[in-house]
Amino acid sequence: MSLADLAAAERPGAPAETPAPPRGAFGRLLRSELRLVLGRRRNLVLLVGLALVPVLLGTVLFVTRDTAISAGGPPFVDRVTGNGLFLVLTALVACLPLLLPLVIGIVSGDAVAGEAQAGTLRYLLLLPVPRTRLLAAKALAVLVFAACTVLAIALSGLVTGAAYFGIGDVTLLSGDTVSAAEGLARTAGIVAYVGLSLTGLVALGLFFSTLTEVPVAAMAATVVVAIVSGVLDALPQLSAIHGALLTHHWLDVGELLRTQIDLGVLGQGLAVQGAWVAIFGALAWSRFTTADVSS
Amino acid sequence: MASTAPARSLSPRARWAVPAGVAAVVAGAFVAPSVIASASSDLPELTPAELLVKVAEAEPVPLSGTVVYTARLGLPDLPLSEVQGASPLDLLGGSSTIRLWSDGEDRSRAALLGSLSEFSVVRDGPQAWTYSSSDDEVVHYTVDADDLERYGELDDAARSGAAPEVAGDLPTPAEAADALLAYAALSTDVSVGTATQVAGRDAYQLGLVPRTDGTLVDRVLVAVDAETSAPLRVQVWATGDTQTPALEVGFTDVSFTAPDDAVFDFTAPPGATTTEVEVPLPDPADHEGTDPEDLKDLGAFDGVAVSGFGWETVVEVEGVDIEGLLAGDPAAATALPGMDRSFGSEGAQDLYGELVGEEGTVPGVPEIDAAALYDQLTQEVPEGRLLTSALLSVLVTDDGRVLAGAVPAEVLRDLA
Repeated sequence: MSLADLAAAERPGAPAETPAPPRGAFGRLLRSELRLVLGRRRNLVLLVGLALVPVLLGTVLFVTRDTAISAGGPPFVDRVTGNGLFLVLTALVACLPLLLPLVIGIVSGDAVAGEAQAGTLRYLLLLPVPRTRLLAAKALAVLVFAACTVLAIALSGLVTGAAYFGIGDVTLLSGDTVSAAEGLARTAGIVAYVGLSLTGLVALGLFFSTLTEVPVAAMAATVVVAIVSGVLDALPQLSAIHGALLTHHWLDVGELLRTQIDLGVLGQGLAVQGAWVAIFGALAWSRFTTADVSS
Repeated sequence: MASTAPARSLSPRARWAVPAGVAAVVAGAFVAPSVIASASSDLPELTPAELLVKVAEAEPVPLSGTVVYTARLGLPDLPLSEVQGASPLDLLGGSSTIRLWSDGEDRSRAALLGSLSEFSVVRDGPQAWTYSSSDDEVVHYTVDADDLERYGELDDAARSGAAPEVAGDLPTPAEAADALLAYAALSTDVSVGTATQVAGRDAYQLGLVPRTDGTLVDRVLVAVDAETSAPLRVQVWATGDTQTPALEVGFTDVSFTAPDDAVFDFTAPPGATTTEVEVPLPDPADHEGTDPEDLKDLGAFDGVAVSGFGWETVVEVEGVDIEGLLAGDPAAATALPGMDRSFGSEGAQDLYGELVGEEGTVPGVPEIDAAALYDQLTQEVPEGRLLTSALLSVLVTDDGRVLAGAVPAEVLRDLA
């Protein structure tokens, strides 16, 4: 690579002059990003922490079952003791309002801003890879991490629930009972829906991350948007905009526990996430490909 | 991120135009369907009588769909679904979504959807179930053995369905339309409104405007599917607010194909609390009297008196033990005064007392109990307790009479 190439790669707004990347460069980039995100000790601690939620929940429910204080609590809690599969749902629903946005916010907010703060971003930009692909690799790595968070909760919930309470036929919200196999399939659907519901937040965090060199600011902004969205969702006066809110459709996941699943409801929720991904993904791309990177 | 190739030659300004373009496309994608759906329809004109005959002659059709029910009755706000999941009490205010299936005959299912909860009403011929997911509670309604034989002879209308407005409880004889119109004409201006679209289907609108000022109802609009003549939407405006309907129930999406039979098969889930209720069938003789002309026959029942006419009708029921009804069991009834929340069992009550302590801070989710709800919904008046809403007034007098009607509260108080 010549000096001119280096200068071109570093100059904002002119990635066009970057030489064509060698074959497999994107794959290598993605692998290194994945290693960075999934290998980082802090992120692993976050995953373990999330995985402990169902263990904690399951243990509490196991100890207090058949006692007077067993009733009440978040949705599905009273069903867990009858069927361990519900521990997955209980844990996911319990983590949705705060824990999952927090963890996603930390990792996505750190994606670009963290490198900028550590001073490694300008060296990363020296690679013969267009910024678009660099951003894509970072986005994919964070998305993979988001999937890991949901899977960590789900698998830990499944194992804990099965160990404590066993797994049997599932009573749906509609009162119908389906076989354990179908229940497992529906649970898989729930896990997938929750995972996809987090994509909008990932795009948002990535955008905030391109705006600043202070990762904490990007993380906080992402979490704040998720929380404010939840607050706005609770105001009936704003019902006109509820449908477009980032978090509004998160609990539509209950649709997968009804006797006839209306795919339209789930599709609507995913379409809203898609809209957030498209808009904030595009914003992140505009910002990242035009920004001056000096550190 | 798939835009790598064209991105190469873009100027920074053009790059910032991309998100704007994306936002415009997204907004377009979400708005376009509703714009297309609101295209006007061109249905042949009908007179009110023709429309009523059309409705009366229509065969009940199998259907499935989603109904949105919105009540703006001006009742105190009860954020119940947040606390205890979907329950029929949600219908007192706010917006609820109900999913509906009907085979057009005597099997139907309605599910009131809450987020992560559901209240289902399943009717399968002579038996019916309700299931509340938040309580894991089943109530099984059956007809006793003697009545079961008679059941087949009885009209569907003899039984209260889950959502009578839409479940196909239509008068089958065509003459009923004329009779109804003639009866309605005594108190009501009946007209055919502008054709509309409900749930993407062309619909006629039947407008009913009371001729009197003595009622809380300003006007009623019923949208009827042009093809199947099934009612698709009912809107009721109150005199208090003539802009926004006080009560609105209508399909947001509907399909007139036979639902899957499995929907109507209900078995109580294992582990659920099941209550068996035997419902007495009304005598066929009594049932004859439900024609609109014979509304006054209501007075033939013991302790029921009807005063007023048409929209101003007030029904008075005597000898109602409100406290007994609210409490459900004698033990709780005695514990009512001074008790903010009561539980079914004394043990639970004691435990609750311990957990709550003196401060009254509630751990976890409180049970909603009927007495507290009753106190919250009604207000003290000299005659007893009064419930006022945009469309209905109910007065429960201290001597156990209940007066109800779509009339201003003052009318009831004068009558009592």
